[in-house]
Amino acid sequence: VQPQPDAKMCDQTFLAITFGPCDNCSQNKPLMNIYLKNEPINYCSLCVEMMACQGLAKGETIHTLKAESESLKSKLEEERAKLHDVELHQVAEKMEALGQFVMKTRRTLKGHGNKVLCMDWCRDKRRIVSSSQDGKVIVWDAYTTNKEHAVTMPCTWVMACAYAPSGCAVACGSDEEKSIQYVVLLYVFVILTSSGDGTCALWDVESGQLLQSFHGHSADVLSLDLAPSETGNTFVSGGCDKKANVWDMRSGQNVQSFETHESDINSVKYYPSGDAFASGSDDATCRLYDLRADREVAIYSKESIIFGASSVDFSLSGRLLFAGHNDYTINVWDVLKGTRVAILFGHENRVSTVRVSPDGTAFCSGSWDNTLRMKVKGLAVVIGVLHHPVVSAPRAAGELRNIGHSFPVIYS
Amino acid sequence: MDVYCSNNVLQARRTVEQLRLETELQRIKISAAAEQIVQYCQEHRRADPLLTGIAASSNPFKDKKTCVLL
Repeated sequence: VQPQPDAKMCDQTFLAITFGPCDNCSQNKPLMNIYLKNEPINYCSLCVEMMACQGLAKGETIHTLKAESESLKSKLEEERAKLHDVELHQVAEKMEALGQFVMKTRRTLKGHGNKVLCMDWCRDKRRIVSSSQDGKVIVWDAYTTNKEHAVTMPCTWVMACAYAPSGCAVACGSDEEKSIQYVVLLYVFVILTSSGDGTCALWDVESGQLLQSFHGHSADVLSLDLAPSETGNTFVSGGCDKKANVWDMRSGQNVQSFETHESDINSVKYYPSGDAFASGSDDATCRLYDLRADREVAIYSKESIIFGASSVDFSLSGRLLFAGHNDYTINVWDVLKGTRVAILFGHENRVSTVRVSPDGTAFCSGSWDNTLRMKVKGLAVVIGVLHHPVVSAPRAAGELRNIGHSFPVIYS
Repeated sequence: MDVYCSNNVLQARRTVEQLRLETELQRIKISAAAEQIVQYCQEHRRADPLLTGIAASSNPFKDKKTCVLL
């Protein structure tokens, strides 16, 4: 095997192999990149095997470990089932039914040259940032539909964008080197990302240092959401392994795990109180998981809904759940009663992202039809044009790519 | 392939440790959890514009009528 000088720069998945001196025996061999207590180590396969065997308690073999893991899984199911005394919609029977739900498109933001992949609202409830396959990140004034800024990224699929809570900066993540990058802003000094290699990572923006990494998914992590600040330092992630995991940001510990979806989870979002979260999946359902009951408590599905849900978001009170689907529609659910309240049409291609505004007065949806549409309880449609390019990327972005997560570029 | 075999032991141990942690979690009954979710919705119902709708005058997205000077 020829040693590859660029080996460390290619995306590192669980199974990626580099070649070089083993951290343990120092021999030049194909190395496995694994994490031990959050520290990355490079051992040759022989040293990994020996370390693993030494770590085994007396009488433990891979077979006993697998048997123990199966019995723990059944125990977990039993414990959860014991608490399943009632369904959410039964408790919600006493609530009034929602009236007829009518929403009209108020604004259509046109200007992207290709699919809209992500959007986020600014805390000022007026500005929106969106990112697209055309490589552009645009900041819009939602009231006037004017474009305030447009930035061209040095790549195409800009999978994610988010506004800093300060409103002064925007972060964007892209699909670089086949490593899909999703970005969620914590506060302007720290960034939480999820990656196609199955991990999530917390970074210090200024130094580019990795502060914490989160291992537990066995496939691409497609979505992240941070718990509302009052409820502590946790976040939830959903991925292609059909699992939704809840993490402690400080310790890196996976505190809870849910595996009831039948396909990739594309989107996860906390319920406004922080006690639950919703997920949208390629299995065409959305589900609600309660964190204190440690269980799925509701499933939002219909036989007629067969296309995957790409994005979900709650209204301010948590009573409504908006889900954007690959059949170009948005389903609106009564979260408590489990019934569908409305279907919204208007997009001419897959809905890739839905987000309710910070003050809850409107929600915006982005689509592969290159537009963003905003809906309020009311009416009207308008358009906008033109951009003037802004800003330059911090130079740090280039060096940080070595770590395997392509570092998101910050613009302010 | 050897690469997969060596990984398996570590993975198996990690899975067992993770499952042990998860089984020890303190849980509450769904009836109690559901009650809290329902209560939250009730309490915040009036503050949810997408539920209650907003007056046209305070709707920032409604087009304002232009003035006509006679």
